[in-house]
Order: sequence, then C-alpha cells, then structure tokens
Amino acid sequence: MSNTQKVPVTILTGFLGSGKTTLLNRILSEEHGKKIAVIENEYGEVGIDQGLVINADEEVFEMSNGCICCTVRGDLIRVLGNLMKRRDKFDYVLVETTGLADPGPVAQTFFMDDEIREEFALDGIVTLVDAAHIEQQLGRSDESSEQVAFADVLILNKTDLVSDESLDNLESRLRDMNRMARVIRSKQADVSIDTVLNLSAFDLDQVLQRRPTFLEPEYPFEWTGVFSLEKGRYELTLEEGPDPTMSLVQLLDQGNDETALNTGAESCVRLYAEQEQLMNPGDLVPVGKHVSLQLQSEGTKSFFIDVNKARDIGLFTQHTAEEFNMKLKKVNTPSKDEINNDQSISTISPIAERVWVAEHEHDDEVGSFAIEREGDVDPEKLNRWLSRLLSEKGVDIFRTKGFISYAGESKRIVFQGVHMLFTAQPDKEWGNEPRRNQLVFIGRNLDEAEMSREFDKCLV
Amino acid sequence: MSGIEAFSPKGMLHEGWSAQVDDYAIVCGWALQGKTFLVGDVAGGLYAFEGKSGKLIWQSKDIHKGGLLAMSIHPDGNTFATAGQDGHVCIWESKEGKSTKKLELGKGWVEHIKWSPDGKFLAVVFTKYVYVFDENGQEHWRSEEHPSTVSAISWSNSNELATACYGQVTFYDVVGDKINQKLEWRGSLVSMVLSPDGDIVACGSQDNSVHFWRRSTDQDSEMTGYPGKPSHLAFDQTGTVLATGGSDRVTVWSFQGDGPEGTVPGELMLHTEPISCLSFSHSGMLLASGARDGSVFSWFLQKDGQGDPVGGAFAGDLVSQIAWHPDDNALAAINANGGITVWEFKVRTKTAAQGFG
Repeated sequence: MSNTQKVPVTILTGFLGSGKTTLLNRILSEEHGKKIAVIENEYGEVGIDQGLVINADEEVFEMSNGCICCTVRGDLIRVLGNLMKRRDKFDYVLVETTGLADPGPVAQTFFMDDEIREEFALDGIVTLVDAAHIEQQLGRSDESSEQVAFADVLILNKTDLVSDESLDNLESRLRDMNRMARVIRSKQADVSIDTVLNLSAFDLDQVLQRRPTFLEPEYPFEWTGVFSLEKGRYELTLEEGPDPTMSLVQLLDQGNDETALNTGAESCVRLYAEQEQLMNPGDLVPVGKHVSLQLQSEGTKSFFIDVNKARDIGLFTQHTAEEFNMKLKKVNTPSKDEINNDQSISTISPIAERVWVAEHEHDDEVGSFAIEREGDVDPEKLNRWLSRLLSEKGVDIFRTKGFISYAGESKRIVFQGVHMLFTAQPDKEWGNEPRRNQLVFIGRNLDEAEMSREFDKCLV
Repeated sequence: MSGIEAFSPKGMLHEGWSAQVDDYAIVCGWALQGKTFLVGDVAGGLYAFEGKSGKLIWQSKDIHKGGLLAMSIHPDGNTFATAGQDGHVCIWESKEGKSTKKLELGKGWVEHIKWSPDGKFLAVVFTKYVYVFDENGQEHWRSEEHPSTVSAISWSNSNELATACYGQVTFYDVVGDKINQKLEWRGSLVSMVLSPDGDIVACGSQDNSVHFWRRSTDQDSEMTGYPGKPSHLAFDQTGTVLATGGSDRVTVWSFQGDGPEGTVPGELMLHTEPISCLSFSHSGMLLASGARDGSVFSWFLQKDGQGDPVGGAFAGDLVSQIAWHPDDNALAAINANGGITVWEFKVRTKTAAQGFG
C-alpha cells in the first residue's frame, strides 16, 4: 500500500440562507489549482460545471447499540469510499450539510469508519452564521448552537445588514459558546479561501501557532467607552451596582476604531495587573492608573475627571457602564468648592463603546472553557476520569482539544475528541519547555468548576 | 505499508498470466464460458483478456462519465452490464465489446446491478429505488421508495429480489409486484448475501457485526466481536458455511446442526491486513480470500468452518476482487493499482497420493 497523504476534508455547516452555496461557488470558481470534490446535500444548488459535485442524501445512521458516537453519515462512507479509489485523486473534499444537520455524525464519520479514516483527514468545520438571523435561530434550535459549538471557523456573514454594535455583541456571544473558533466577518461570504481550506484545525499545534492567544484569560474589564471631551472638569456618577468596588483605568487620546480599541485594551491589561489605587467619592481620577472606585456608600457616587485640552479619553471599567448606571457629565463651573451644588448638566454619550466579554444574560446552554494547569498528570487517573466523564456526559460534550503532560513521558500527549470518541497521541518532545496541560471543552451545560476540580485530582 | 513481502505462488496456485489496466481495477468476471476475462477500472476503462493467455482482446475507455461502479455478467456469459456515476447502465456483448443498449436512470450514481439467475431480468439500484429491466431494456418493475439508499441487492430466485438498506431487508416478488417479506433491524447494512436455497440472509453491518435471518423460521441472530466492518461475505454452494471478513482473518460460521449460534467460528489466519474480498469455488468447499496487503489465499474448508490453506500468492496491492474460473481451474485477482493476475489452480491428485502413499 502506498504512503500517500490523507485527503483533507472541510465540513461546511450553517442554517439555510447563511450563505453556504455562495461560499461554495466562490471556492469552486476561484483559481486555486486544486481538484476539489463537493458533496452537497440534496437541496444544494452549486453549479455542476464548476467541479465534481455529488448530491447525497444526508443519511444519518444510528447503530443498534444506540451509542451516539457510533452514529455516522452512511452516504459519506459510500461516496467517499468510491471517490478515493481513482488514481487522479482529489486534493480536497468539501462536505456541505443542511441547516438542520447535527455536525456530530459528519465529524464522527471520519473517526469511526476504518476505511474512511485511512484515506481522509478531517481538516476543519466551518460554520456560516447569518448575522441578521442567528439570534433568533440560537434561541429556537439546538442544531444552530451545535453548529456554532462544533466550528473551527465561524464566518459571521451578512454583516452589512447589522449594526457594528450588535455584531460586537453577537461575536462575543459566539465566542462565549466556542472559544476555540476563529471568527471572520464577511458581507457576502467573501472570505479568502485559505480561511476555509487547509486549516489543519484538527492539528492542535497549528491551532496554537495560528492563534497563540486562544486560551488567554478574558480581559479583566468588561467595558470600554471612548468620550470626545472639551477642556474642563467632568463628573462620573455611579448608582448601586453588583459590587461594592469597581476597577477603572483612564487612557488619554483613545482611538475609537477596532485596532485602537484592541491596542488600548492590551495596554490596560498591563495596567490592571498593577496594584490598584483606592478612590473615594469626590476624588479626581488619575490618568493611566489602575484605580478602584469605592462604592460602599449609599446613593449616587461622583468622581471627577479633569481634561486639560480637547481630546478623546477612554474609560476601561471592570463592569459595564449599564450595571452601575454610570454617567459622564460636564461640570459647568470647574471649581472644587461647588461640587456639591446642584448644577445643570447633561450626560455625555460615548463616541464608541465596547463590551469585552459576552453578555451573560443570554445564558446560552452551549459554552466552552479551558482547563490550564502546570505540572504533570497521572495517566491512569486521567484516563479513569475522562472515560467516566465521556461515558456520562459525552452526549453534551461536543468537542475536546488539548494537550497533557503525562508524568514520566518525554512527549506531549495530544487529545482530540468528538463526543465520546477520543484519541490521545504522543506528539513532540517536551524538551526544556515547562510541563503544562491545556484542555478545551465545548458542550452543553458543562460544569466548569466540577470538571476543573476533577482534573486537579489527576495532577501528580 | 504492506505487512508482507512479495512471494511466489505456493501450493495449488501456479504462475499463470498478468496484465495491467489504467486505474484501480474495481470489477471483474469470467465471460463466454471462461474464454474471456473482463475487467473494469474506476475511471471507466473496460478490458477483455483471453482467459488462457491474458492477451488483450478489446478495450473501451471512459464508458461512464465520472467513473465505473458496477458490472454484472449475464448467466449465459454472452452479454454483460456496467453502471456508473453518470446514472447510466450499459449493456455490452462480450466478444467484441460492442455496446448494445444504454439505460438512463437519472442524476445519481448506479452502484449495484445484478442479472437474475435465469438471465431474464436485470435489477438496477438507483438511490432509494430498485428497477428491474427485461431483456429488451424495458422497465418491468420499480420498487417503492426505500427509507434510505439501497446498499445491496441479491436474487433469491428468478422472480424474487432481496434489497438491503439502513434498517431493513425486503423481499420483492418482481413479477407479482408485491412484498413477500420484510426483515427489520436497526442498523446500517452495508452488504448482503443469500444462501443458495434463499433461506438465510446474511448482512454485514456498519457497527462491526454480521446480522442474519432464517426466512423459514423467522429466527434472527447477530454475530458481534469483529474488529472492523464485515463488508465481505460469501456462502459456499451448499449453504453450509458463511465466510466473513471484517478483520485480517476470515471468520467462518457453520450452519450445521443448531449453528452458528453458540458455536465457535473457524478462523483462517494468514493475511496481515483486513480482508478485501471473498469467493467460493463453483463446486466443493474451496474458498479464496484476498486482503488489503495484496495477499491471496485459497483454503479447503470443513463443514464445521475450520479450514486449511491449500494455496497462496501475492497480487501486489489491495485485492479488490477475486473470481474463480467457471471450471475452478484458475483463480483471477484484480488490485487497486490496476494489476491483474490469473493463477492456475491445480489439484495435485498425484502428489497427494504419493504423499499419503
């Protein structure tokens, strides 16, 4: 038998109308020199002259043992089994699923069937999201949240139909559900081909290389507001909120575009890491310092900001402005003696606003989290725990990815899983690298605290 | 990589001839009473070789756009049918390779075709339907829509056709146009064979098991424990034993007495990779098996399913099909690299007499 490379396969999911057919046609019509076979669902509309397009009924076959991880796509086994025989093999296979499909069986087909596994490698799962309608869909069907949860790449499509603000909110909601995925925005599925093909998403090393920050902790602040201010004194008022204190950083000359907001956020992460300076109501907020607003007293609390010339300032706050009903007003008479006087002042709206973590009120059942620990684990304990976890919760755990440091093993152990199916393979040598473990779980109703606790018990 | 090295034919298998076709050889069979050996490759190449010498008699290329998927040789050997990804079925005469008829089923693959034992009907699987055409290429009968794509067909007699799909096997009377029997089981049936008397139905299943039913008694059983998918199954001509693949050994169940339930199957172990084809001789208990490692073995089986190797040879690459000559005096194998090998199969009565004498 020859040692030829496995043919990579991309699974394309997304609800009806999310733009799958547009994307497929784009891929097929682009000059990429690849020989691509497309396996389309029965309702597909890809032009047949653009390449080999095979229409297949989505035949999801459950097994008599009732095991969910044995559920496979029978049509794929049949069709791919035949395609792989030809000498002029395909360089690539794209599998399009209908909007109502559960991505599990498609992905499992590439793990479960020996003959398919030998010839094909699942390269990645790409989910198209209709930015205008996904909110409704997420609320209504399990399939759409599963498609988000399974994705390696989420294409937020039809962004021209939605405001930037709701896009940001949507993106953070999706990230909360699946922190492993790369999110790309597009108008008419006009994304470059290499964001969809050859992802090697199931190759963990590449994932880490491509997105070294994908396991980074969330920002320590939830909200940023950029205010365009004239010279003068401003009053920041806060009402009762969820916490007796709130951290804040004020940055000068904060830009309001995406890049500037990200740059600001990154410098704030460093400032937030420094010891906070306590601020009592009536105090003046310093620039570029981590301060902790003391909000224990009852009623409205006021803090002051002085602006020496017209400029944009950025406020990075631990909680959202909404949670404390935080407002910024100009003080008409900038005199310290008159601060307690009732002034006629109006609230200033930010020129840009950004929520950094998901809005928790959505409370999506589907979510993801990472366990990151230094040190070694006991292979037997870990095995026992994972076997139990996956046999009990495998239905709700959609994807698992990560690497583990086994005590006494010189190589990293790479984990990869879809539902209950799990592979653990030795990878590269640890060498001088510090021993650590990273496991990402994506699923429904996952108990992060419990799972982290159980993982900790496996540490040596 | 292959777990074995090339070796010369051993035992009852002797050097014959070999040839090469353009692509993965997918189907083969003997026509014209064994005078001609037919081979089809996945790219749609069709080849006829002289059975004795291996000389190429005729060939035809690109007979099915997209690729060739199936072939069935008429019982009289004078004509045969091919089917492919273009949704067509073509009828050919064997001598010169002339196409005599073309049936167009529609947009979709035709993966299975089979002549009835009397040669009057040709059954054709097209997605969830099965069509039966008569000798003139006229549609004689069409099945109802199956719940999923039909994965296998087999004639139990010249008027009764069995179909397998996800979850069920159905027996149709294609002359009386009625369902004779429906056997249900929740599982993805990937292959099916019938015992020669038509009573036992055996199906390989995606979940690494073999399921079978006895039609006369309504008894069914499931044989589990296969490490892989038992896609390849074969009954001997008497219906006594069922040979199955699903691993690198041939597992043989015997239907003698109360078996095979509760019995230990015979296990034939010499291949180093999973079985890729199985075929019984036309008479006697001789089984030929081919594997992904390119090895071919012939076995002499006992009625209890135990067996011993009587010949072995190396076909070079994954053996996609093997076919006994109608006289059982030769064995042909085709492989994934387009290689064709035909070995003579000699019964060495003299040697045996000397050996025991």
